[in-house]
Amino acid sequence: MRLYLLVVLAVAGKLHGQAPAKPALPKPIAEAVSAAKPGGFVGSSVCRTCHPDVVQGFFKNPHYKSLASGKEPAGKTGCEGCHGPGKSHIEALGGKTTIPVAYSLLTPRKVLDSCLACHGKDYARADIRHSAHSQGDVACNSCHSVHKSQSPKFLLAKQRQPDLCYGCHANVRTQFSMPFKHRVNEGFMNCTDCHNPHGTPAASWRMGLRPRMVGHSLGNEEACLKCHSDKRGPFAFEHAAVRVDGCETCHNPHGSTNAKLLRRTSVFTTCLECHNGAPPFGRTGEGVVLQTGTHDMRNPRYQNCTTCHVRIHGSNADRRFLR
Amino acid sequence: MRNILITLLIPSALLAQRTVAPTTEDVGNPRGQNTPGYNITNSVELGYRWRAVDGNYGAYRSDINFGNGIRVLGSQLRVQSKEGHGWLFDELTLNTQGLGNDPYQSAMLRLEKNGIYRYDLSWRLNEYFNPGLTIANGLHRMDTRRRFQDHDFILFPQSKFRLFAGYSRNSQDGPALITVQQFDSRGDEFPLFMDVKRQRNEYRLGGEAEISGFKLNILHGWDNFKDDTPIRLNGQNPGANPTDTVTLSALQRGEPYHGNSPYWRAVIFRNLKRFGFNARYSNVSGRRDFRFDELALGTGRFSAETNRQIAIFGSGRRPVTNASLNLNMLPSNKLTVTSHTSFNNTRMDGNGTYVETLNSNKNDSILNFQSLGIKSAQTLTDVSYAAAKPVVLYGGYHYSWREISSIDGSVFGGQLDAIRYTQQNQLHSALAGLRLRPLPGLSVQLDAEIGRADRPIYPISDRNYHALNGRVQYKRKSLTLTALTRTFYNTNSVSLTSHSSRSRQYSYDASWSPQSWLSFDAGYSKLHLDTLSGIAYFAGGLVNGTSSYVSNLHSGNLGVRAHFLKRADLFAGYSIIRDTGDGLPSYFGIVTFTTNIGGVLSTTRQAVSSAQVFPLSYQSPQARLSLKLTSRLRWNAGYQFYAYHEEFFIPAYQNYRAHTGYTSLLWSF
Repeated sequence: MRLYLLVVLAVAGKLHGQAPAKPALPKPIAEAVSAAKPGGFVGSSVCRTCHPDVVQGFFKNPHYKSLASGKEPAGKTGCEGCHGPGKSHIEALGGKTTIPVAYSLLTPRKVLDSCLACHGKDYARADIRHSAHSQGDVACNSCHSVHKSQSPKFLLAKQRQPDLCYGCHANVRTQFSMPFKHRVNEGFMNCTDCHNPHGTPAASWRMGLRPRMVGHSLGNEEACLKCHSDKRGPFAFEHAAVRVDGCETCHNPHGSTNAKLLRRTSVFTTCLECHNGAPPFGRTGEGVVLQTGTHDMRNPRYQNCTTCHVRIHGSNADRRFLR
Repeated sequence: MRNILITLLIPSALLAQRTVAPTTEDVGNPRGQNTPGYNITNSVELGYRWRAVDGNYGAYRSDINFGNGIRVLGSQLRVQSKEGHGWLFDELTLNTQGLGNDPYQSAMLRLEKNGIYRYDLSWRLNEYFNPGLTIANGLHRMDTRRRFQDHDFILFPQSKFRLFAGYSRNSQDGPALITVQQFDSRGDEFPLFMDVKRQRNEYRLGGEAEISGFKLNILHGWDNFKDDTPIRLNGQNPGANPTDTVTLSALQRGEPYHGNSPYWRAVIFRNLKRFGFNARYSNVSGRRDFRFDELALGTGRFSAETNRQIAIFGSGRRPVTNASLNLNMLPSNKLTVTSHTSFNNTRMDGNGTYVETLNSNKNDSILNFQSLGIKSAQTLTDVSYAAAKPVVLYGGYHYSWREISSIDGSVFGGQLDAIRYTQQNQLHSALAGLRLRPLPGLSVQLDAEIGRADRPIYPISDRNYHALNGRVQYKRKSLTLTALTRTFYNTNSVSLTSHSSRSRQYSYDASWSPQSWLSFDAGYSKLHLDTLSGIAYFAGGLVNGTSSYVSNLHSGNLGVRAHFLKRADLFAGYSIIRDTGDGLPSYFGIVTFTTNIGGVLSTTRQAVSSAQVFPLSYQSPQARLSLKLTSRLRWNAGYQFYAYHEEFFIPAYQNYRAHTGYTSLLWSF
């Protein structure tokens, strides 16, 4: 507070056209500044003078570990571990531009560089440079809020992870609001159950270019199989579509107006759009197998393919997935 | 200051889906009780939830599924050491949701001792109810419980040498219905009872080391799966088609299916100021063995007594190997180049020996086998260049190659019959974009992508596609405006068939907090999809036609949050999803499925037409109120209405309206 008064007085003096008299720093701070370590590091306790609201509760912040250990060098601990040496900031009597590393003023790439200096050691962020987020200038502080987080565990900028993602992906909010959906809005799942917002390797299904940012199950398989393990197989007779182009061939993973998250309202149109026998598609290049002549589509019983082809994701008993 | 923060945070808590959450934890503003060495915050919300459903109860349970009764709607416990030198732990966080009776229950625990260990537990339970609805004539139903748990333990989490261990469990059990077709390929379908018993257990062990700036991460895991679901039918069943003469009087099936998938993953990576790389190798080897034994008794298509036993045994294998290399080059502060190259090799093969005994006559066994191999390689190169302070240009070239080889065959009576085939496919795609920050708080992003594949495996796969994306966001302290557009067009045509898919998405969102006690959220999205596909089917004879599907989804959401007199928090919201189909008032006359049988409009065409658009509306107004009774006690109440309405799908038996609500007491400190 005293420092603020000094700043106000200095600014007022400048407005009167007088050369601002450099106000004297409070004695404890002046002593801390004069005792600054090489590089201008003054220690986090000095920061408390002007930023008590940040420092008071900092023991709840995951970054407090660096202070608690007491082993980290001055440039890797406390406030100055992220924001850089504080001496010049104090000597200038505050101000955002005098903070060596002020994240709100950094370019997204600089933010990424700064955070990765410590957080780059984790495998979960090994792909962050080529992630769609990094390429779209979505840096760490776009989603994480170190000092005003509403979610202590990951310091997210919003309390619920989906609300954070919906901020940019509003179209996905719509998908999860449909009648048939994965239970994200209900709090049962999170976006990160399937996606890694810090980037992933190329998909091992489809042609590998899409989808992006989808995590892998068991190291390199589609993320869906983490929970839907009964669909994983391996089966003696695989439905090639599931393995070659992935679950998205037939399903909308976020949500759908169609039951079972299907891409089409009816099962038979879902099936017939591939099973039309037209070459050069399919595993044998002679078209994806056309239904047999016994299936007269005028009869409703043939319009529900999975009534008979019950093991459509793969079967051990029948290559036509009847059992 | 503290009151202002709490005032700001409580309304945001009201955004939560159902429960009025306790005061959210603010990192910079400690509260709670202090004990020697620790700070403790805690909250428990105990309440009663109710519902009243009018219409299709099964559809309600499938979509929403909240019931009546008392629950612990939510709780948060956080114990934090004040100096970071706790005895057994420095942080304990336990969050729960819906414990007691909700269909979506969870508990998340974190226990951590700085520098020594970190343990994370996630437990979730889902009451999974599926009434079949439009699938399989409603004959496939499921009323099961799915439980998931994940345990992750890290030793020395802040050191350069870390060890980790993990365990995950995923189980599903409960009653279900499935169907079987008997006794031949023209036979009837019969619903069977299935007692689902599935379980997956995964164990993980690994370590991470940092040596001379290189980070090495190794993980070894074992994934075990077993499905011991018995299937049976007791008593005479006429089948799904009453006119069919086939009947089933008894069926018993056992099909134990067990297997494991051990896997390895090894990664080495390093980040320097101007260069970084990340090399990864992973291998999943999967094998599952099965036995299948089915005994069915009934009458055949010609009304003769029939009994059939099918016995099959065999196994399936699927090793998947992946290797990838990332290169990140940062030659200057303005230029970023990333390259990602990946190789995949998937080899699937399975076999089953089929033995059938029909009316006590045992047939020769048949060995069926199948092999499917997928090899692929991708390389993705992306460049980003900050041309000027507010302008960033970016682009990329992506290439993918895939080879699919297939063997499909059987051995019967000593004769081998197999079809072998191999095909290759390449995909080239290019991306170019622009990011602008013309004004403080205003960001604009535009990009376009075009892709060309020479031989996709399916008629609906990506072949010739292009995508256009745009985003504009204006963000100031109290106001955020966002507009988004995405289009994706794909055509996949050959001489005999054609497929086109056009997807367009538009979203507009606004968030405004004019006062510290008042905020508004509003959003509108339109998701358009139309596809036109060549299909072929039998309707008296082979018919070649086209199938079109049209979906025009409009969605809106509106929310108001207010905080009154330091005591009351109110949230009122409304959301609606409406699929208008192709905009026509009924399905009759909609040209969505055309055949070319002498220009005659067949009944098939109309039946299919009704399924090609699916206009519906799904809306949900809601309101929540939270009153502060004392400094530690709040009373909460909420109401939410759901209305699901299909416009003209016949029969529209899936419609429902549901009133749901809760009242609760929240105790916190």
